[in-house]
Amino acid sequence: MSAALDGGPVLQVRGLTVRAERRTLLDRIDLDFPARSLTAVIGASGCGKTTFVRTLNRMVELTPGLTVSGSIRYHGQDIYDRGVDPVLVRRRIGMVFQRPTVFPMSVFENAAFGLRVAHEPEAEIDRSVTDALARAGLWDEVKDELDRPALALSGGQQQRLCIARALAVHPSVLLLDEPTSALDPIATQRVETTMRHLKEELVLILVTHNVGQAARVSDRVAFLSAGRLIEQGPTAEMLERPRDPLTQQFVSGRFA
Amino acid sequence: MATALGPAPGTGADALRRGTTARLRWRTGFDRWVGYLLPLLFLVALVPIAYLVYFVSAKALPGLSWAVLTSSADYQIHDALGVPIVTTFLFMLLATAIAVAIGVLGGVAAAEFLPERSAGWMRMSANMLVGMPSVIIGYFGYFAFVLYFHWGLSFLAGVVTLAFFMSPYVFRTVDLAFSSIPRPIREAAFGSGARPVQYLLRVGTPIAFPQILTGVFLAMAIGVGETAPIVLTVEPGLLVPTGAFQPAVFTTYLIWTGFNQPPGDVAYTLAFQAAFLVIVVVLALNVVVRVVAARYRQRLEGLYQ
Repeated sequence: MSAALDGGPVLQVRGLTVRAERRTLLDRIDLDFPARSLTAVIGASGCGKTTFVRTLNRMVELTPGLTVSGSIRYHGQDIYDRGVDPVLVRRRIGMVFQRPTVFPMSVFENAAFGLRVAHEPEAEIDRSVTDALARAGLWDEVKDELDRPALALSGGQQQRLCIARALAVHPSVLLLDEPTSALDPIATQRVETTMRHLKEELVLILVTHNVGQAARVSDRVAFLSAGRLIEQGPTAEMLERPRDPLTQQFVSGRFA
Repeated sequence: MATALGPAPGTGADALRRGTTARLRWRTGFDRWVGYLLPLLFLVALVPIAYLVYFVSAKALPGLSWAVLTSSADYQIHDALGVPIVTTFLFMLLATAIAVAIGVLGGVAAAEFLPERSAGWMRMSANMLVGMPSVIIGYFGYFAFVLYFHWGLSFLAGVVTLAFFMSPYVFRTVDLAFSSIPRPIREAAFGSGARPVQYLLRVGTPIAFPQILTGVFLAMAIGVGETAPIVLTVEPGLLVPTGAFQPAVFTTYLIWTGFNQPPGDVAYTLAFQAAFLVIVVVLALNVVVRVVAARYRQRLEGLYQ
């Protein structure tokens, strides 16, 4: 039986430790991500929050020299088990990066990329791309220019296109690594609206250094400092009544 | 308060004016003179090239005609470049194909698949090959292909030796082109569930292509002017080769054998006409490179923002 069907967490992180040659980047992290939720991972620059989300779909393996230990269970299956294909993991657990990373091809082909590399049939691609562009809140803006080069879109549109590209393969989890850090306030607002819609259907994990953003969109907050999970809980509780002095400092410093 | 005392010294409007201390005067003066000196040095560098083009054209152009370029008569007796031109074209076609195959496979392996240590060894070897005098590559071809493989002084031995000479140039640009794709783009492809080969074919190649094409054209421009790898491995032939083990004549062979013959001799005339052709081809290849690169750069604009 899958853990999620029992109401258990979709992703369950236990004792997650990441080491570089000399330093420990993440130190024994335990964290659960329930279905249909948006968890914001906050912390200062260099605290390990980007490394953390990169372990959740094995992207961390693209950086040579890091060793991962502990376990990350997706519906109960440890994604680091031998015999688990990292490519298939990434098709279930999608990712959006700090800066828009569109490929030099048309808007449509960008959104279809994940489906093409998974060899989905043509009819399915058409349907999923349209659906993904709509869910990313981009369809109305690009429906008449699907054949235009994606690089001609604005930065905010490019970022929503990247979200659509990740959504098109129907992932159950979407990792967002500071997706609005390169965007202006209006584009940021649009992406935040998109995130609020998406958390109704899938697990969103948002890395941000912006406490305000965490307050606006997240259900739960996890605070990292120097590679350790200091505190986690429902957003309101975490931002208004943090128990740990480190959390208090970080949260109030940003609100002051 | 600042309003009462005026701005602190060195922070008011005078901070924007040119310095007047001796040190600053010297610095601004130096900047200005460097600005004059560099264009001058550029002109000095142009002089030998301009002179070379003038010197070669002056001797080559008067006798050069369409008839000369297309005549397949015996170049030892007549002013006829047809056979060398067609043969050189065949040489370049085959050598480029081999060099591209070796260079692209090696470059992709170094940039994407091999561990950093082995890739480093490949890069060092390629750099050494690029710095190697061509005559040494020629000797290598002679000992390896002509003698050891018993190919004799033949078209094939020349083609393969020339390909060896050209491949490190292709390797280096392919390696650099794929290594310099922005990391986020590469990670986005993997993050979307692409396998390495899918990333390379669907995302990497469209981005790296202009640079790769530039490398191939530059390798061709360097190869077409080479002499030593050919004269050491191929017996000069009077006809266009129709088989791998036949003799064949490369255009630069005419330059190498003819330039020190008495003026008025057919060989002397041919040497300058052949040199002129090589210069034109190298120039044309360089122009094509620039045009192609500029067109693709436009298409990729915004990728590296």
